[in-house]
Amino acid sequence: MRRALLATILLCGAAFPAVSADTPPSASKQAEKSFTGATANLAPNDPAGQWTRQARDYANTRYSPLTQINKSNVGRLRVAWSFSDGQMYGHEGAPLVVGDTMYLVTPFPNIAYALDLSKTGAPIKWVFQPNPDPRAIGEACCDKVLRGWAYADGKLIYNLLDDHTVAVDAKTGKEVWRVLLDDVTKGPTLTQAAFVVGDKVYIGSSGGELGTNGWFQALDVKDGHTIWKAFTNGPDDGALIGSEFKPFYPWMKGKDLGVSSWPGEMWKQGASAPWGWVSYDPDLNEVYYGTSNPGPRTPSQRPGLNLWSSAVFARDANTGQAKWAYQFTPHDEWDYDGVNENVLIEIPWKGGRRKVMVHFNRNGFAYTIDRATGEVLVAEPFGLQNWASKIDLATGMPVVNDAAHPVVEKKVENICPPDIGVKNWNPSAFSPRTGLLYAGVFNSCMDLTNHIVQYIPGAPYDGMEMVRKAGPGGNWGEFIAWDPVKGKRIWSIKENLYVWSGAVVTGSDLVFYGTMDGWFRAVDARTGKVLWSQKLGSGITAAPMTFTGPDKRQYVAVYTGVGGGAGVLRREKGYMPGGNTLYVFSVDGAGVGLGTSQLVSHAEAAAPVSVPPAAAHN
Amino acid sequence: MKYLAFVFALMATPTSAQVTADTPNPFESKPDAAEAGHALFGKMNCAGCHAYDLTGGMGPDLTDNSWQYGGKPGEIFHTIAEGTPRGMPAWKDKMTPDEIWQVVTYIQSKHQ
Repeated sequence: MRRALLATILLCGAAFPAVSADTPPSASKQAEKSFTGATANLAPNDPAGQWTRQARDYANTRYSPLTQINKSNVGRLRVAWSFSDGQMYGHEGAPLVVGDTMYLVTPFPNIAYALDLSKTGAPIKWVFQPNPDPRAIGEACCDKVLRGWAYADGKLIYNLLDDHTVAVDAKTGKEVWRVLLDDVTKGPTLTQAAFVVGDKVYIGSSGGELGTNGWFQALDVKDGHTIWKAFTNGPDDGALIGSEFKPFYPWMKGKDLGVSSWPGEMWKQGASAPWGWVSYDPDLNEVYYGTSNPGPRTPSQRPGLNLWSSAVFARDANTGQAKWAYQFTPHDEWDYDGVNENVLIEIPWKGGRRKVMVHFNRNGFAYTIDRATGEVLVAEPFGLQNWASKIDLATGMPVVNDAAHPVVEKKVENICPPDIGVKNWNPSAFSPRTGLLYAGVFNSCMDLTNHIVQYIPGAPYDGMEMVRKAGPGGNWGEFIAWDPVKGKRIWSIKENLYVWSGAVVTGSDLVFYGTMDGWFRAVDARTGKVLWSQKLGSGITAAPMTFTGPDKRQYVAVYTGVGGGAGVLRREKGYMPGGNTLYVFSVDGAGVGLGTSQLVSHAEAAAPVSVPPAAAHN
Repeated sequence: MKYLAFVFALMATPTSAQVTADTPNPFESKPDAAEAGHALFGKMNCAGCHAYDLTGGMGPDLTDNSWQYGGKPGEIFHTIAEGTPRGMPAWKDKMTPDEIWQVVTYIQSKHQ
């Protein structure tokens, strides 16, 4: 059994050599050509230099049309200014730039800063300290993080770890409203990046390892009141599953499957918390988001499909009514979740075009799914995995390898990937110019011993004992370019540790990402050639972004401060100490923090120093 | 009679409220106490935060010599029984004092 698993690992490893490239385009006429013909609706089409939402657009592309920084000058990127926020938990969000102001929010205790980009050194305009309940610290499974914040209607809106969502006046930093959405002492926390469309802000709960009852809800941007709320599991009524619900595959059709696919009432502690990213299609008026692993993580305690854990939902953005769902990993036995980002693009497909979402699941398969129907068009491995031989496109079901099933009180060796996945929540980017997605991925396996656990409110509901180890090659991570139509890699770059940063790709075909050992890199989006790297003060587990300052200059910004789930590698060589510094780069480091823009540009002529005689002191 | 009561008081495990930082671990030399504590460590989901090898994760590492709330047996007992302001739940209503001491014994056994 072990030999079979190892053979699969080696085969997978062999399929992805160190830095691979499928015949990179050499001719100049190829330089502008899309690899796939895939495009995206970049609504709400903000001005090019602004970055007003975490993924920049509703589709979650993280594509910036800016071109001032390009392949000819990217090698001259230098730090223009930096900002340390003093908080030592993992930093995961991207700064927002709205007008001349940059907005940052720290991990717990979730302090917000507004920085004035129009002034020398980008000074603080205001600070908002929400003082969340410190009991939340003990309930957050994977560090005390916040994955992002939102701007809407003149307000900065974000989640506090203690289950509040708060809105702050973006001009003054004064609290406008604060609403309590759950009871942190029972296990749920809020680490999700609030996502705004129009007059609604969409919030999902965290707590996949805490036996929570996961939910997703739409709040009113004006006052924070709940417009609709959908539990993930349980009866259809609470899950807002009704007559509009039309899943593509028959095994997800039926009444109250969120109850009957669990033993007894275990769905009540079945977690399935939607703590990841939200995307929105303005034409279909649907929001899309994924759900977490089922609780407890020990699968033998919960026989059944465990719907709607480790799944994706499409919902009417106004009413919350479910339109379809798809469970990536039925009866999830390995903590693979379904919370990763859903990037909305359009692809050429069998002579026509399809509106799809691309989803890199922790289980190691990258799915291209028709977002109007929930039909899986493509599901191919994007990294090292051996738990399933394939996803059967006729049924939508994985074909699970017998050797990968965990056993209680017995060590099962070399299951790939481990719970952390082949990619975690760290968001990918899509370029409508290249037609490719860009993602930080992981190369690792686990030896897994399961234990029976009991539900204790507010305590972990877990049961997985793991030893994680690097996969073939010894490198824990990679950064890849992915063809979502053919379901294959175009190029990849090996990295020592998991690549747990987000990515941003620009109109000049540059991709930026960071590493856990502190390197921030710019890469040619077409060839994977690393064009620039800068070592920073801590590891990077946040998403980079780019913007145009009031001085009309393009900047690239990224938070350092390694942490979050990436902490599972904290004992590995190269893992850096925590940090909390935002670095902002420009060509030659020019900008508001440097050079002639500074207030004091020369020293006064030195005057003779006159030392009074000792007697004068008497 | 008074004498006997005094002896019993000495022999019985102190209640949670009676334990101070300097209270010795009454289970320290008892055979099987560490193993019983090991079982409780899994059963009560302690491993969910502190890991099955006690090296930490969601909660702190219990195998190093850094103790946020004190590393004496009585201090560890107190931390488990009462919880901490930063998220460690209070276990005094879910485990008996004897069980808490067994968990303390298990943690101490990783420091020899």
